[in-house]
Amino acid sequence: MSTSDTRILSRQRAVANAGGAAISTRSRAMVMEARHLLFTVSPGAAWIIVFLVLPSVYLMAVAFMSNGPYGLPQMPLSVDSFKQLSGFGFLGWSPGNLYTLLRSLWQTFLSTVLVVIVAYPIAYYITTCREKWRPIMLLAVVVPSWTNQVIRTFGWMNLLAPDTPLSDLASALGLISPNMGLYPSNFAVTLGLVYNFLPFMVLPLYAAFEKLDTAQVEAAQDLYASPLKAFWHAVFPQTLPGLLAGVVLVAIPAFGMYVIPELLGGGKGMMLGNLVATQFAGGSNWPLGAAGAILMLIATFIGLFAMRRIGKRLGGGEEVVI
Amino acid sequence: MNKRNFKRGLKGFWWLTIVFLYLPLAVVMLFSFNAANSAAHFTGFSLRWYIKLFGNQEIISAIGNTLVLAIVSSVIALVIGCLIGYGMYRHRHRKLGWLIILIYLPIVLPDIVFGISEMAFFVQIHQLTGFLKPGLGTMIIAHVTFEIPFVALIVYSRFVGLDPSLFEAAKDLYATPFKRVMHFMLPTIKPALISAFFLSFTLSVDDFVISFFTSGPESATLPIYIWSAIKKGISPEINAIATLMIGGVALAAVMSLLLNRRRAT
Repeated sequence: MSTSDTRILSRQRAVANAGGAAISTRSRAMVMEARHLLFTVSPGAAWIIVFLVLPSVYLMAVAFMSNGPYGLPQMPLSVDSFKQLSGFGFLGWSPGNLYTLLRSLWQTFLSTVLVVIVAYPIAYYITTCREKWRPIMLLAVVVPSWTNQVIRTFGWMNLLAPDTPLSDLASALGLISPNMGLYPSNFAVTLGLVYNFLPFMVLPLYAAFEKLDTAQVEAAQDLYASPLKAFWHAVFPQTLPGLLAGVVLVAIPAFGMYVIPELLGGGKGMMLGNLVATQFAGGSNWPLGAAGAILMLIATFIGLFAMRRIGKRLGGGEEVVI
Repeated sequence: MNKRNFKRGLKGFWWLTIVFLYLPLAVVMLFSFNAANSAAHFTGFSLRWYIKLFGNQEIISAIGNTLVLAIVSSVIALVIGCLIGYGMYRHRHRKLGWLIILIYLPIVLPDIVFGISEMAFFVQIHQLTGFLKPGLGTMIIAHVTFEIPFVALIVYSRFVGLDPSLFEAAKDLYATPFKRVMHFMLPTIKPALISAFFLSFTLSVDDFVISFFTSGPESATLPIYIWSAIKKGISPEINAIATLMIGGVALAAVMSLLLNRRRAT
């Protein structure tokens, strides 16, 4: 008889002696395990529930309340906030908020497309380099994103300010009037977004290129496919999951961006994040801000759902982006 | 298309992109040493903006707030995240889908929604009960919330990488649960804990949006100070403080990376 058997037996005996109750070791062990699970998991789970889930639920509730004094929410329930978001205010319909919404969508779309255009060749180029260089090259792409977003955006403010080489060049080409800077403008916001999100696209695309099955490309070449056709039929479909994952990683946070449009966009470059923040920071209209936040939440959940689908197609393996 | 030209074009594009990625940071760092008060013309090398920094009481207190916030929140997140990470490993055969969703929630929620929902919540609680006055306390709560998932995932992946028979061995040797934790578990996951601490620290120092919305009038951190300084108008002093932050964060990130690598070998 092994030692563990003796232990079980003696434990059973102890249980039987203690109360004579018919608690088997098995169910006792299950109780212990459940207690263990509770002990390890509950502090963190409780923390996230109390300090994040509850506040988000509260925020969603705020969106359905009416606007009170100092912008604070009050009863009765109403959907005024959503009406205001689509432009119906006290003074009739005005397109301001709707423009902000459309601009957010357009900036998100444009910057995502541009990020793909830059990241695709970069990710491919890294895979063509020698193996020992690849981690260093990836690191080189990621390192700038470790710096604070405010500082990075401030760097662009320095570069795009009036009187700088870039602004001088733009005014020499007649793109902007002399003595003006390239910011604040929608162009500066797009540039800032592309700069900010480039690493998020390069990483998943690189992962896709690294797994590329070159036999398919060779087969295409053997069949006298033109380079373009070979790319389209043999390479592109294989990188599609990585590309889509990158699109989700870029588009969702871009849609909710606050810092970049606030610093580079000015009044006419405002995006949804700024609209939401103004409603809370200025204390003007919490329900309207909360309604905007709900739009972002919807976008996030669409993105997560898409990510799950893509994850299944990729067959697991998740990239954790720092 | 000529294959060699194609490769050469790619290489050129790569270096252009690298310039694009590092140019804003390089400009900030370069102009922090500018003698003139200009963001367009570099007239000569000087350390005057750095000297000016250390006479600025607001910046000194912002540095203090940043460090207190980062250290306190990282320690709390380390304890809580470590427990979750172990729980996730030990009970990985159960259906823990709800827990995974809960852990990923702080990561996927857009910063602005995260920050604003906490701010709205804290403000209401404060009005009702008098607790949770916006300030360093609420900022610590918010930072712990977004640090927990990273700690949990790092600790979890360290446990998954271990040989399961190690746990059996510790049990078979009649180690009490306390001894098992002190002499087996903590020493084995120590590298993961250190790396998780540095990551939490970096994330905390780096965060702006969530801090901004949960902060009070006297709890400005460095990013918040920089933000308000930028809003007031560009000053070369910002370049100096930004350069110090770039250096500090790079240092912490490299340390975390090196420790992580040592763990892997």
